Amino acid sequence: MTIAVRGIGWLTKAGYGCIRSGLRHAYENSEGARSLPKRRIFSHPFKNFGRLDGISRMTVYAVALAMQDAGIEYSPMKKQDIGIIGTSSEGSLKSDIGYFKDYIDSGRTLSRGSLFIHTLPSSPLGEAAIHFGLLGPLLYAAGRENSLKAIMDMVTEIILTQEADLMLAGQAEEEEALYFVLDREQRESALCDLTQARSIVESEQDVSALIGQFTMLRNKER
Amino acid sequence: MKAVVVASDIITPYGMGIDDCWEGVMADRTAVSLVTRFMTQAFQSDYAGTIPGLIYHGETSLVMQMLALLFDRANGMIPGDAKLLLATTKGEIDFLEKSIIDGVGDAAESALDRLLQKVIDLTGIQGGGMVVSAACTSSAAAAARAAAMIRNGHADCVLVVACDGVTEFIFSGFSSLMAMDKFPARPFDKNRAGLSVGEAAAFALIMSEERAHRERRTILGELAGWGLSDDANHMTGPSRESEGLILAMNKALRSAGISAQQVGFIAAHGTGTVYNDAMELRAFRAVFKDRELPVYSIKGGIGHTMGAAGLVEMIIAQRALREGTVPPTVNLKEPDDDARGWVSDRQQAVRRQALALVTNAGFSGVNTALVLA
Repeated sequence: MTIAVRGIGWLTKAGYGCIRSGLRHAYENSEGARSLPKRRIFSHPFKNFGRLDGISRMTVYAVALAMQDAGIEYSPMKKQDIGIIGTSSEGSLKSDIGYFKDYIDSGRTLSRGSLFIHTLPSSPLGEAAIHFGLLGPLLYAAGRENSLKAIMDMVTEIILTQEADLMLAGQAEEEEALYFVLDREQRESALCDLTQARSIVESEQDVSALIGQFTMLRNKER
Repeated sequence: MKAVVVASDIITPYGMGIDDCWEGVMADRTAVSLVTRFMTQAFQSDYAGTIPGLIYHGETSLVMQMLALLFDRANGMIPGDAKLLLATTKGEIDFLEKSIIDGVGDAAESALDRLLQKVIDLTGIQGGGMVVSAACTSSAAAAARAAAMIRNGHADCVLVVACDGVTEFIFSGFSSLMAMDKFPARPFDKNRAGLSVGEAAAFALIMSEERAHRERRTILGELAGWGLSDDANHMTGPSRESEGLILAMNKALRSAGISAQQVGFIAAHGTGTVYNDAMELRAFRAVFKDRELPVYSIKGGIGHTMGAAGLVEMIIAQRALREGTVPPTVNLKEPDDDARGWVSDRQQAVRRQALALVTNAGFSGVNTALVLA
C-alpha cells in the first residue's frame, strides 16, 4: 500500500503557505502572525478563537492550510473520519506554567478551567478536531529525537490498519508549525509518497528547512 | 500477527500489584480516601485515590517513585530490545508545582521528554521510546499503537508504561471544572455527582505471539482489536449522541474481526460524572442493542487515574477474563435507571469464550475501545 502526502500547510515567523499549491504569503513589516485572523485562513468562523493558547492557534492555522492544500473541504456539521497526530518540542509547558501561576496568584483557591483545559499536550489537537470535524484517532506523541519522523511512523501504522480514511500529522511551536495530510492512496495530485516525505523529515528537523526541502521537491516534480 | 500480553503489573491506591487491586475491587472496597498531601478545603472534594508512602515535592516525582517500585519487581522480565511507549497526561508536573510554589528547581523538568529518558534509563530498554498522550485515553491509545506495530510487523516487543499522580495542579483543575464528587466517586449510580482523582502506574509487555512462543513466555491475553476516535464536539464535555465512542467500539470490533455478540463484558471508563456515564451507556445500547451484558467500573475503587486509567483497566479486565468473573462496580448503591441490567454491586460470572471490551474517553473528545481475548 502506498501512502501519499496530499498537502502540507505551514507557518513561520516570516509568513505562511501551502506546499503543493505553491501558496506563499510573506508578512510585511511588523505585520506578523497577528494579522492572521484577517486572512480568512478558515473556511468558516472559528468559535472562541480568542481562548486558544499559542500552540493551539498555530496548530489550527497549519491544519487549515494543509486541508486547503489537499483540497479537502471541512465543516463541523459534516464530520469526517480523519485522524490527527501532533507533536511539539515542549508539549504544554508554557500553558502549564500559565495555569499554575494564575492559580497561585489567585491565592491558591480558585483556578481557571479555561486555562486548565490547555494543559494537556493533546489539547491543540482537540481544538482542531472540533473546528474541522475530525472523528479519527487523536493523540500527541513525542520522542527524545526527531518526533516528526516518529509520528509519521505512527501515522503509517494507522493507515495500514485502516483505522482512519485520512490522517493529519505535524508539529506546532509558539511561532511555527507544519502539518501534512496523508492518504492511503497515491493520487495524481499527491505531492509525494510517504517514503520520500519521511526521508526529508529524517534529514531535517527545522521547520523552515523542511519547508524549503518540500518546496524544492514540489518544484522538481513539476 | 497477534499481539499478546506476556507480562504486566500495576501499583494503585490499593497497593502494589494486580492481586491487591483485584481483591480490592472484588470485595467492593474503595481505596479512595481523604487527601493529606495538600490542602483541599478550597476544592469540590477532599477525596482522592492516593498511594500511601509516596513523598510529595521531594527529590523524586510521584510518578517516578511509583515506577521505581513497579520495575523493582520486573527483574529480568523486560527485553532490552523492546520499544517503549510511555503514556501519561501530566507526568512529573509536581516538579513544576515545586518550582512555582517554592522557587526550587526548574519548571522544564516536568517536560514529558525528560520523563521519557528517565523511564528508558529505569527499564534499561534500548529499542527507543515515545511519549503518547491523549488525555485520559493515553494508555489505552498507547496499548493500541503497540498492538498495531506488532500486527504490521514493525515491532515484535513493545513495553507500554503508564503513570499519573495526584497533584494540586490536577486536583485544582478538575475542581475548577466542577467535575468532582464531594464523596468517593459512584460510577453509574443514580446519585453520582462526579469523579475522584486517582493515581497509578502500570506496565504491559506486549509481544508478537510468535516471539512469545519462541521465548516460552506465559501469554496472559491477546489485545485482539482496537478503535480510536474523537467526538469533534467539545473540549471537556462528552457527546450527547455518543457517536464518538460508538465509532471507536465499532472500529475495535472490526479490528478484532468479531461481532458484538462475542463480547462478554465491558470494562467501562465509568468516571462517575453524570455526563460521561450516560454517554457510555448510550453507546453500549447502540452497539449491543437489547442485549444487556455486564458492565463495571473500577474508578470507585481507585479513582480516575487519568493517563494510567486505560492500561490499569485493561490489566484488570484481563484478570477478569482469566478468572471468569466480572468485578462489581465499586461504590454502586442504586444503579441509574439507564444502567439497570448492565451494572451490578455484585460479582458476575463471565460466559466461556467471551471477549472483553475496555472503553475509555477523555478531554478533547477522545475515545478508545480495546478488545481483549
